[in-house]
Amino acid sequence: MDLAQLLNGLAYGALLMILSSGLAMIYGLRGVMNFAHGSLYMLGAYLAYEVTQRTSFWAALIIAPMILAAVGAALELGVFRRLQDRSHIEVGLVMFGVALILERVIVLIWGDDTLPVKAPSALDGTANVFGTDYPAYRLLIIGVAIVMAVSLVLWLRRSRTGLHIRAASHDTETSLILGINVDRVSLVVVALGAALAGLAGVLAAPYFSVQPGMGQTILIMVLIVVVAGGVGSIGGAMVAALGLGLIQTAGNVWIPSVAVLVPYVVAIAVLLWRPSGLAGKRVA
Amino acid sequence: MNKKLLAAVVPVMAGLAMTGCGSSDDSSSSGSGSDAGAPLKIALIPPSGGPLAVFGKDVVTAWKFAADEANKNGGVDGHKVEIVTAQTDGTPAATVRAARKATQGGARFISGVITSPENGALQQQLPSMNALSFNTLGKDDALTGAQCNANAFRTVQNTQMDVNMIAVSLDKLPAKKWAIQAVDYATGRTAAKIFTAAAKKVGKEVVLTQYAPLNTTEFGSYISKIKSSGADGVFAIEFGADGVAFVNQGAQFKLFDSMKSVLGFNMVSEPLFPALGDKVVGFFNNIGYVHQLDNPKNVAFVKAWKAAEGTDPYYVTADAYIGAQTLFEAVKKAKSVDPAKVKDALNGLSFDTIVGTVTMRPGDHQIQRDAYLGQVEKTGGKLGWKVVNTVPASQTQPAADPSCKL
Repeated sequence: MDLAQLLNGLAYGALLMILSSGLAMIYGLRGVMNFAHGSLYMLGAYLAYEVTQRTSFWAALIIAPMILAAVGAALELGVFRRLQDRSHIEVGLVMFGVALILERVIVLIWGDDTLPVKAPSALDGTANVFGTDYPAYRLLIIGVAIVMAVSLVLWLRRSRTGLHIRAASHDTETSLILGINVDRVSLVVVALGAALAGLAGVLAAPYFSVQPGMGQTILIMVLIVVVAGGVGSIGGAMVAALGLGLIQTAGNVWIPSVAVLVPYVVAIAVLLWRPSGLAGKRVA
Repeated sequence: MNKKLLAAVVPVMAGLAMTGCGSSDDSSSSGSGSDAGAPLKIALIPPSGGPLAVFGKDVVTAWKFAADEANKNGGVDGHKVEIVTAQTDGTPAATVRAARKATQGGARFISGVITSPENGALQQQLPSMNALSFNTLGKDDALTGAQCNANAFRTVQNTQMDVNMIAVSLDKLPAKKWAIQAVDYATGRTAAKIFTAAAKKVGKEVVLTQYAPLNTTEFGSYISKIKSSGADGVFAIEFGADGVAFVNQGAQFKLFDSMKSVLGFNMVSEPLFPALGDKVVGFFNNIGYVHQLDNPKNVAFVKAWKAAEGTDPYYVTADAYIGAQTLFEAVKKAKSVDPAKVKDALNGLSFDTIVGTVTMRPGDHQIQRDAYLGQVEKTGGKLGWKVVNTVPASQTQPAADPSCKL
């Protein structure tokens, strides 16, 4: 695998990493798989289209995650908190319904057509990476993912809120007894998780284009990442996302005829080897 | 009590059964001369949602345009054209249900069905509905091959005709070493196989053939392989969102800058121009219709269409219009709206259309019409097509599909 293919794997893995971190955080705290995560990502991409049309891509990179954070807060207050005593399957089904509604609303607003989002002109060309010309925009995705990963891990490990998130993700009841405001922690986590989905959507817009099926397509990959990484573990999801991006790219290069099966084979292999995923119950 | 109930139910059931069988006593399908003045009732069954809904809307617009045009001139051989629409979710089962309901309401001619799976499911049910279908969009070869039906007619080119047009046109393209990027689907594999054989025939080389699953979003690894393959031409068989992703990512990698020819199969089309942008200027692609065709019928059609709709017609609307013209010509020839007589009239029907003279082949009910190789050009700030090669049906599919048994 040459350098260009290695960077392809890293770029794809970086995008999966941003998206799966949010999903893993929500799962870790609420214990529910947020099936609307793909739709939130899709909403982020459509908002990127809208904001880029009106102002610039750089503005979209700030505005879309902020709007998604508000949507996440609404989901926490309207769904997760109200249904916290119900079975996880019921909440999962409700989130599946939310995903369907959200996708339909997006199509009603922006239509069925595939929409273009132009990468910023400064990043429209290629950059020379150790003698290999590689699209500059993809390098931006890798860069953003690295910054996001380092910031998130430092925040979770060093800050007081991070400590509370890790505690609540391990044991909600004990955290409550110890005086942690789990509702507030949950609001922060779901809003941040949705904002990360929005950020991934904005970054994906010039990369994949914007179209109605984009949320569903990537949700399956992200679910595999979260399960293989260790359900609820943000660090595990990050490692699994990068690993899956690289393995998928290697599969496309070396075994193209069965490459489509690679993510599923990886998930099965990881779960057989480590049933609770790569990171087990470690949060960060 | 049970006997009384039975006595009441049996006649009702018998009546329902007769209705369901599509009795030939239906007012719109009576014998010679007796249906004079009966309406020509057409049911359009497009999807109301999903990515194909926009095509469904355009197909309905085109049929209504054709109906209005005919009705202004006194109808088709005196029969007033009536259009009824029944929208579906685009699944084969829903389409068949909607068609059955429409035929029970008196419609004997069905169109507006978009996808090949829907057309395939519908075709098998047509005899029991006493109806004929006009497929103006579904290109799957099997619809006029193994799945053909005596009541089903295709008025658009099939996949084999389009691929063969590309094979015939290959020597007009400058690239010598080709890389094939295809969707891992029957159409992708068939097109790649025919292209490879055609390239060999004209002394060109295929240096790389690779398949990506349908709904692939990340083409980086495929594009890097093409770049390192030494190819100076790309033949891409990628549809819809996959095609857009391939083109956009290819442009980010500067893939197309190093290519002498970029040839698409069903990859570039008018509805995708806004999503693809100027990146596709100079790209070649198969096309079924272009509004610039210089013949009196087309010039008149484009003028009238533009006056009515404010835009130029494109392949979806033009192909639907050709479907309507085929039905209208058959009704005129049959002098009846009886589906059995119209069916007989359609076999071998040859007439002048907006794409020149076309013939409905009796052996498989596949229309014989030209296929075109187009090149995207930008004129007046707008993307459009320039026809590079016109290939007649005698070269793209000279004989009926032998797997079709009508």
